[in-house]
Amino acid sequence: MFEWSAEQLMVRDAVRAFVEKEVKPHVAELEHGDLLPYGIMRKLYTTFGMDQLARDRFARQLEARRRELAGAGAHQTPTDGGAPARQGDGGAAAMTLIPIIELCHYCPGIVTAMGVSIGLAAGTVLKRGTPAQMERWGLELATMEKIGAWAITEPGSGSDALGGMLASARRDGDGYLLNGSKTFITNGPYADTIVFYAKLDDGSDTPVRDRKVLTFVLDAGTPGLVQSPPFAKMGLHSSPTGELFLSDVRVGRDHLLGETEDEAGGGGRESAKDNFVQERAGVAAMALGVIEACLALSVDYARERTLWGQPIGDRQLVQLKLAKMEVARLNVANLVFRHIELSAAGKQLTLAEASAMKLYAAQTASEVAMEAVQLFGGNGYMSEFRVEQLARDAKVFQIYAGTDEIQVTHIAKALLGT
Amino acid sequence: MNVVVCVKQIPDPAAPPSLDPATNTLNRSGKLILDDSDAYGVEMALQLVDAAGGGEVTLVSMAPNGEVSGLRTALAMGAAKAILVSDDVLVGSDALGTAKVLAAAIRRAAPDLVLAATESTDGYTGTTPVQVAELLGFPSVTFAKKVEVSGSTVKVQRQTEAGFDEVESPLPAVVTVTAGVVEPRYPSFKGIMAAKSKPVETLTVADLGIDPSEVGATGARQAITSVTAAEARQSGEIVVDEGDAHERIIQFLEQLKVL
Repeated sequence: MFEWSAEQLMVRDAVRAFVEKEVKPHVAELEHGDLLPYGIMRKLYTTFGMDQLARDRFARQLEARRRELAGAGAHQTPTDGGAPARQGDGGAAAMTLIPIIELCHYCPGIVTAMGVSIGLAAGTVLKRGTPAQMERWGLELATMEKIGAWAITEPGSGSDALGGMLASARRDGDGYLLNGSKTFITNGPYADTIVFYAKLDDGSDTPVRDRKVLTFVLDAGTPGLVQSPPFAKMGLHSSPTGELFLSDVRVGRDHLLGETEDEAGGGGRESAKDNFVQERAGVAAMALGVIEACLALSVDYARERTLWGQPIGDRQLVQLKLAKMEVARLNVANLVFRHIELSAAGKQLTLAEASAMKLYAAQTASEVAMEAVQLFGGNGYMSEFRVEQLARDAKVFQIYAGTDEIQVTHIAKALLGT
Repeated sequence: MNVVVCVKQIPDPAAPPSLDPATNTLNRSGKLILDDSDAYGVEMALQLVDAAGGGEVTLVSMAPNGEVSGLRTALAMGAAKAILVSDDVLVGSDALGTAKVLAAAIRRAAPDLVLAATESTDGYTGTTPVQVAELLGFPSVTFAKKVEVSGSTVKVQRQTEAGFDEVESPLPAVVTVTAGVVEPRYPSFKGIMAAKSKPVETLTVADLGIDPSEVGATGARQAITSVTAAEARQSGEIVVDEGDAHERIIQFLEQLKVL
C-alpha cells in the first residue's frame, strides 16, 4: 500500500466533510472547556454507522467468546507470548485510522477521549470479560452510548504503572473492597464505566510489587468512588483528564473482569499490555493528522505572508522547514500504511515495531508542529492561527501511551534479546 | 416506488477549472465527482422510497471515459444501482442531446418519479430536466423545496420569488429539487464498502437505440462561439458615518428604487 484506495478516499472525504462541519466551528468551545467532546463523538459514530458496525462486531465477538468458553472449559485468552494466527481484516484498520487522522487536523483531544473509551475501556472488557460482562458493559461502550475510562496510572507511578501500583483489592465475602487513587485518567471526570486496575491484597506477605494485578469494571456513582473535576493541562484541552479516588468501594465478583483472579485468563498485567500495539499505531495516525495539518497551514502561510515585498516561501530557510515537514509526512504516512497493510494481511506489528513507529511519529509531530509555530512567527504564537494548539497537543504524543523513553526500552529489549 | 435520480459527475470545483480552447467546453478529462447539487435529489429519493415502504433508487448519468467516481458516492449514500451512458460520440453534446440520452436511459428503468437538480454546478443551463420530461412525455415540476408522494400523485411546494406555490402532478413525473429540499446524509462506512459491489450498467448510444447523428457535436444545435472572462466584481461603496450615514443609505436605496 502506497496510497489510499478509492474506497478509503471516499471514507476520508466523508469524514473530512463531517469534521469541517461539526468539529471545526466548535474548536474554540472545545479548547476552553465550554463544550465536552462526547456529543461530537457520538454524532460521528451514528452519522457513519460506526455504532451499528460495533453492534454487528459485538454479536460476533460474543458468539466467539461463548464458543471459546464452551470448547476450552476454562478461560483461554491469547497472550502476548504467542500471537495467534489472525485473519486479514480486509483493510478495516484504515476505517479506524482515517477518522483519527482527519479529527487530528483540528482536534487531537477528541481522538484521545474516543480512543480511551472505545479502544481501551471497551477493548479491555470485550477481550477479557465474561459474556455477561461483555453484554453488561462492553456493548454500550463499543457503540459509544456509554463513555469509558481506563484507570491504571497512579500519582506515584506512571511508566512503572504495574509494578508501582498501590491501589488494592481485598477479598470481602463474595466480593472485593477496593481502595486507592488513580491519576491522568482520560474521561475520568465524566466516564459512565471505569476499567480499574488494582493489586490483590490476600493478606499474605507477598511484596506489593509482586502481587497479582486484577481488573474491575466500575459504574459511575458507586458508593466510595469519587471522580474529580478535569485538570488544567498544557494541551489536549478537549479531552477531559482527571483523578479517581476509591475508599472502601465494595463490588461483587461480577465486577472482576473475567470473574477470575487468574491473571492470564482475566484482566491483570496481560490485559494492560493487550492494547499496546493498537494504541501505539493509533498515536502514529494522530501524529500524521497533526503533521498534515501543520504542513498544509504552513504551505498556505508561506505563500500568503509577504515580508520585504515577497512571500516568505521564497526564503530558503522557510523552504527548508517545509521540506522537512514533507519528509516527516511521507515517513509517518508510510508507517501508518504499513500497519494497515499488515492488518489486512492478518499480521500485526511486533511490540518493538509499534514502539519504534510511535517513538518516531510522536517526536516528529512535535518537531513539525513547533517548526510550524516558528514559521508563523508572532502569528504562530496566537491561537487564531491554530498551530500553537497543535504544538501543545502534539507534545503529549511523546508522553502518553508510553513515554519516548519507555518506547526506547521496548525497542532495545527486542534488539538485544534481553 | 421506484425513483430515478439524474446525477451529473463534474470536475472537482475545488480544483481550478479549464476550458478546451478548440471547443470552448469544460475540460472533463480528469477525475469527476458527484455534483453537490445532485446530493439533494439522491437524499430526497432515498427518503421518498423509505416513506413508500419499498422500491429503489436508480441513478442515471452521462459521463466521459466510463467515469463512476461520482456514482459511487451516490451509491454509498444508499442508491441501489446506476445506469451510466458513456460513449465517445457524445463529446460536444448540448443540453438537448444530453436530455435525449438521459430520457432513453430513464425509460429503461421505468420509474414512478424522476428527480434532478434545478441546474448543474458546472454548466448551469438548467434546461436539461424539462427537456427530459418532454421527451418522456411526463409532466415536470421545477424548483421543488418540498416533495411528497401520495398514491399516484406527487405534491410539491414550488419555490417562487415571493414564497412558494403548492403544485400537484400525476405520476410519473419529473421534479427538480433545490438545495433546500433536504439535508443530504453522509455515506456510512458500510454504505461506502457496499457501493463498489452495486451494479453499474454502462451503456453506449447504440445500446439505447439512439441515432449517433442526433447527439454529440454533430447533433448539437447549440455551440459556444466565444468565451470571455467574467468582469471582476466591482468593490462596494463604503459609507463612513459622519452623522449622515442613515441619509446616504436611504438615498442609495432610493436610487435602487427599493424605497
